[in-house]
Amino acid sequence: MSAADAAVVTGLGAVTPLGRGAPELFDALCHGKSGLRRPPAGHQLDGVVDSVGMAPDITAAEVLPPSEGRLVDRFVLMAMAAADDAIADAGLVIGRDVDPARVAVVVSSGAGGLTTYEAQGLERAQRGPTAISPYLLPGMLPNMAAARIAIKYGIRGWSSATATACAAGAHAVAEAARLIRYGEADVVVCGGAESPLNATTALAFRHARALAHGFEDPEASSRPFDRRRNGFVLSEGAGVLVVERAGLADSRGAAGYADLLGWGGSTDAYRPTAPRPDGEGAAQAMRSALASGSLGPDDVDYVNAHGTATKLGDVAETKAIRAVFGDRSPAVSGTKSMTGHLLGGSGAVEALICALAVAEGALPPTGNLDDLDPACELDHVVGGARRQAVRAVLSNSFAFGGHNVSLLLGAPSTRRTRGGAERKEHA
Amino acid sequence: MSAEVHQFVVEALKNMNYDTAEVTGETPLGPAGLDLESLSLAEVAIQVEDTYGVKFEEDEMESVALLTVGGLVDEIVKRSSAAVAS
Repeated sequence: MSAADAAVVTGLGAVTPLGRGAPELFDALCHGKSGLRRPPAGHQLDGVVDSVGMAPDITAAEVLPPSEGRLVDRFVLMAMAAADDAIADAGLVIGRDVDPARVAVVVSSGAGGLTTYEAQGLERAQRGPTAISPYLLPGMLPNMAAARIAIKYGIRGWSSATATACAAGAHAVAEAARLIRYGEADVVVCGGAESPLNATTALAFRHARALAHGFEDPEASSRPFDRRRNGFVLSEGAGVLVVERAGLADSRGAAGYADLLGWGGSTDAYRPTAPRPDGEGAAQAMRSALASGSLGPDDVDYVNAHGTATKLGDVAETKAIRAVFGDRSPAVSGTKSMTGHLLGGSGAVEALICALAVAEGALPPTGNLDDLDPACELDHVVGGARRQAVRAVLSNSFAFGGHNVSLLLGAPSTRRTRGGAERKEHA
Repeated sequence: MSAEVHQFVVEALKNMNYDTAEVTGETPLGPAGLDLESLSLAEVAIQVEDTYGVKFEEDEMESVALLTVGGLVDEIVKRSSAAVAS
């Protein structure tokens, strides 16, 4: 593969509990700032969960034409805002810089607009059949973030949305890398979004014993790898990346954050929710990602762990990382400690965090890791960001259902680069 | 009843974020006027059914799309009176 065919990340957009904007998110994470809070009084999660990650409001009017905004679920609105920001950040004009038929959009969601679906269902129970709007499905189907981004920007190439629960966002980024590598697109707008903050979804996770509970301080609730961890914090948000062929980026003078070097996927084939205790599925995904990028474990400086802070999950992931890397642990952090778990959005948001880690030469810490679980011993980044040259990084996402994805990112191959990497290599 | 139904239809369109400032009885629902997409028309139909108990069947929607706002209002009033009469 020639350097011109590399898949390079040139645009980032994020809507998360740490605000709107990818640099803002990364900066907050590096300063150990948490986006988690107690649900506000009157919110349907008030009294249901102790801690939650709420993203900023995005109104339909901000992202859609007036007549198209009816009953559009929040996951679509957040994805569209993130896509707007990512495309603007890339400085890309579809139709001017690239043939619309050579642009793809892959934006996933774990479950689509369940909050909107439930609200309509409840209204039907009260008011009868005519309560159901014809706008319901185009407002909530899991593919609608991808579809509406395509409509807005006139994207005419490949489009899809993979509904693989907490790996959905990572699957979207993996598909983007594959589309570029196999020459099926020159640009891919990829990402994930989720808006799960309704009582039914929260209760389902709570009754599955998956949610953090019992912490007085909501910011202390998400504790990956810590001895006192007892589950994840439910969050909402979206992350979108513009990935393009490096040759195209160079021809239009765009600057890259990082290259998307490879991807790996595997399946636990074990239980509907619990991971394989030995972490073998996760390890296989990481090994495949390395093979896909023709790199070895020694090339990797950082792993952004799936790290949801469930009892079983963190131990299995630790075993997986040890199985892949042996005695030399790369730096590891679990940023869900500060963002909470954005489910189908998390894989994309964390890929974006990894792109910024490469570009800035900084590794965000794991929050709340005060008392390391001896079963989770790795080179954890704690107490503050670690500044260092960052070569290759892995971003892990593992889902209910046993879907495992690992993404491999490294230094950008564009002539112009972003952040610290620019000063370092291409000055 | 026509004035009330007209008000209802305009209000429904307004809630769907259509610009209704210039809408009169003569404004076409189609491309020459409001340019309602099929779902918007379906939304109006379901709201009319909810409020007035008047039904528009699937195979009628194409011809409804060709009406003006006034034409739609007349049709609602006609069916509503028929329903009351029967």
